[in-house]
Amino acid sequence: MPIDKDLLDILACPACRTPVTYEARDGEWLVCAACSRRYPIRDGIPVMLLEEAQTGAPKASP
Amino acid sequence: MDQASIDRAYARLSRHYDLLFERVFDGGRRRIFRALPDRPAARVLEVGVGTGLSLPLYPKTTRVVGIDYSGDMLRCASERIHLDRLPNVSLLRMDATNLVFPDGTFDAVIAAYVISATPHPERVIAEMWRVCRSGGRILFLNHFLSENTLLARVERGINRWTKPWGFRTDLELAGLLQQTGLRPDRIERVNLFGMWRLVVCTKRKAGSLTPATGSPPGT
Repeated sequence: MPIDKDLLDILACPACRTPVTYEARDGEWLVCAACSRRYPIRDGIPVMLLEEAQTGAPKASP
Repeated sequence: MDQASIDRAYARLSRHYDLLFERVFDGGRRRIFRALPDRPAARVLEVGVGTGLSLPLYPKTTRVVGIDYSGDMLRCASERIHLDRLPNVSLLRMDATNLVFPDGTFDAVIAAYVISATPHPERVIAEMWRVCRSGGRILFLNHFLSENTLLARVERGINRWTKPWGFRTDLELAGLLQQTGLRPDRIERVNLFGMWRLVVCTKRKAGSLTPATGSPPGT
């Protein structure tokens, strides 16, 4: 996994505060299981911004 | 100052930031590390990590999480991490008023030259406090409006020229402390002519900050 586990353990969704999980499908994402928001990882840097989140089913790569 | 204009300013600044600010701000940055707890902090959050100028100063045993709103600044920080081989540092793009970490995650939370470059300094401080563990340290380094009337007038005057570059020069420390309820252990004057201040606070117990009642002075 390209994202450090220690880091993943302390990351939550900025919208609903649920812990996020790593997903590598059509690019790399941190995904919130509770509200279905997907946060892109760009150039190895997770973008934990509401305005950059994708909602719903996976679409394009980040 | 709104977030979009600040973001545009730092996108412009990112390529020249180190050249413009590295020397001027270096003294203050080093003082932060002297104000960290004696025992090296295991996990530190740096809010507004920017181009990552302070990242090489952390002990390699400290896990550093650096966040910034500007993707352009973070790209510079990422290059530095690769060049300087800093495997102890992780970067994230994030809004400093909405930190995505649980309460009490970090041993120390640092913001260098950030508080006056955000539209809501009081909200940033409240978040820094929340994610700091009880007994941990909160440090911020910034320029604040001078208590000297004449200097303050000059600083207020140049504010409109600095705002397009993403920071303000008229932020009052006393007002901010009252507004947030933050009670510093000490305040050190740093950098050129001591015009910047390092504010050192310890989170003595869990829970949120309690703002002082009444309006802050100067509002």
